[in-house]
Amino acid sequence: MKSAIYLLSIAVLALGLYSYEVRKQNTHLEQNIQAQYTNSLTNASEKLSLLQESVSQSLLFQDERALDNELDNIWRTSNEFRSTISDLPLSREVSNEWLRYVGNIGEEAKLAADNGDYESWHDRMPVVNQNLQALADEWAVATANFFQNDASLTEWASVADNEHEESPFKTVAANLKSYGETDFPLTASESDWIKKNELQNLNAKEITKEQAIDKLEVLIPGIKNATYTVTKSKDEAPYPFYHIQFVKGSRIGYADITQKGGYILSFLAERPVEEKTGVTQQEVRDQINQFLDRAGYKDLQLVEMRENHEVWHMAYARVFGEDKALVYPDGVQIKVSKDSGELLGLNAMEYIQKEDIKEDQKLVPIDWETFFRPGTFVEEEQIIYTENEAFQLRKCYQVIARFDNDLNETFRVVVDGENHDVIKVEYMQ
Amino acid sequence: MVRSIFMTVILIFGTLTVIKPDEPLAFSGQTIERGAFGDDVIELQARLQYLGFYKGKIDGIFGYGTYWALRNFQDKYALDIDGIAGTMTKNKLAGVSQFDKKWVHDQINKGARFTYYGGIPLAQQTSAGAGSSEATDIQLPAKYSERDLQLLANAVYGEARGEPYEGQVAVAAVILNRLESPDFPNTISGIIFQPGAFTAVADGQIWLTPNERAKQAVLDAMNGWDPSENALYYFNPKTATSKWIWSRQQIKQIGEHIFCY
Repeated sequence: MKSAIYLLSIAVLALGLYSYEVRKQNTHLEQNIQAQYTNSLTNASEKLSLLQESVSQSLLFQDERALDNELDNIWRTSNEFRSTISDLPLSREVSNEWLRYVGNIGEEAKLAADNGDYESWHDRMPVVNQNLQALADEWAVATANFFQNDASLTEWASVADNEHEESPFKTVAANLKSYGETDFPLTASESDWIKKNELQNLNAKEITKEQAIDKLEVLIPGIKNATYTVTKSKDEAPYPFYHIQFVKGSRIGYADITQKGGYILSFLAERPVEEKTGVTQQEVRDQINQFLDRAGYKDLQLVEMRENHEVWHMAYARVFGEDKALVYPDGVQIKVSKDSGELLGLNAMEYIQKEDIKEDQKLVPIDWETFFRPGTFVEEEQIIYTENEAFQLRKCYQVIARFDNDLNETFRVVVDGENHDVIKVEYMQ
Repeated sequence: MVRSIFMTVILIFGTLTVIKPDEPLAFSGQTIERGAFGDDVIELQARLQYLGFYKGKIDGIFGYGTYWALRNFQDKYALDIDGIAGTMTKNKLAGVSQFDKKWVHDQINKGARFTYYGGIPLAQQTSAGAGSSEATDIQLPAKYSERDLQLLANAVYGEARGEPYEGQVAVAAVILNRLESPDFPNTISGIIFQPGAFTAVADGQIWLTPNERAKQAVLDAMNGWDPSENALYYFNPKTATSKWIWSRQQIKQIGEHIFCY
């Protein structure tokens, strides 16, 4: 009995010590995390003050160099603020609104500096400056308690993430939303871009779910007579579509087809694929060309083809106009099995709502020898349409440029055809 | 007389059986061109490197580096300059270079840094590397890196490993849609590790080793598939506690997840 009590006492003591150690470790971890959060909060508050000061100072100058310097500060500080805010455990709404509002200020500053459109900056920013000042004050009030917190991370995080009426960020969130809508209304090109993405403009006739299945089977005969489960998109979805899930043998997959017009948004099938190659690259290309022709995608050109373990991924772009320009935003993607060349995926969401192309864009010739440094060769040149940072569809030159060195490093460079702004540079593997 | 005719026929038949002019002496029967991947490309790169045309990494991926090297080879040997390794090109390559398949594949499997130049002892052309990386044998669209693939695969596996394949592609697509949205951080890492953004980060499941299916799902999302139809959020209606998430505009349900804007 004595021994049992003795052993039990030892066990209780050991358990107590262990529990104390774990608790100490947890407290230590919590304190470290809270210190990091508090550091981020301090940084965010400082960056916000700096941003507000820079916006205010930018209204001071007419001198281009001085103004450019401030615009650069604003762009940099807005990025730093965004990064710090996204490190904090704030509620989703507060975090999103901050990222959007401050991101807009940074983008405006960058655009003004790039285009030299200082007048527009000076016209718009006095209101933003006032609103930013108000937001900085509200932020200071909302965050004051966080610096006096008594080292309880749970409490810290729960207050920060509070979505309810008692949230200290309630006023900040409401004002951010309202200022965002008035200070940075969507531009025509942005709303065009969003409309395109939402496919709201389709005016074709509605089809039934049976017609949707028929359409799918005609296009992809490999899944004919599969077992289907068809559901409709949710009532709030911006464009209605049928969500068709199918099972046939070892094939499982889905297809989304618009109710208006019965256009295939995307299709993806999964089945065991042998790694062994059963079809050549040329055969895959030929088979897919036949499929695209049969499916009515008659104006596409292959722009990229990548082989992986089990499948080929292929990217196509629409060909437009007399100069056979490639319209990248009107793309179609294809997935093909390597073992038999079977179509396993089709993504045509972007192709359905074709871009409205302004054909009168100028194409000013570029002397590539002076554009690139010596030792760079332009191997291919193509006219393309692609979106710039302001979501405007621009007619551009696309060149494949190669360094004349041992590694033959290769780049895809996209240059605006009219003003020769470099829109994109990609390192090609 | 009959005997000599018979011997001549046997000799001609035998010679034709041994030398088949239409078949390459090495490689498989495939024509190899840009975008291809695999053992044939490894052999192509190794042989081009043996001859000094290719200075890049032997990784089995037929990218632009291999393409220019092949064109230079075709130019030097008066072949059609098209950057495609067809029968003529492969035969010529096999005729003028050597290829030690076992050695080259051993180096790749060991993750060693190595070259394969002719005239230099093989032992002098290799050094220990960082170990083999499975991710290196996947070809990604130019705007994504292997690190992106790895992080996304971890997130997809941690968040949706019990979901249908479509649901896994959709989760990857949501993360990529956030990359395009001004409401979110502008890096994949920033989006995944944003506090409170993903349950798998909060409960540590993001650190589970993702399976091949999760990687394939990410690869499809990176190549443009978006079964979520442009969603920015998703949630499990059985476990979601946030009132805010229910206020979002819903698009569709896949498995246990509702996808929304």
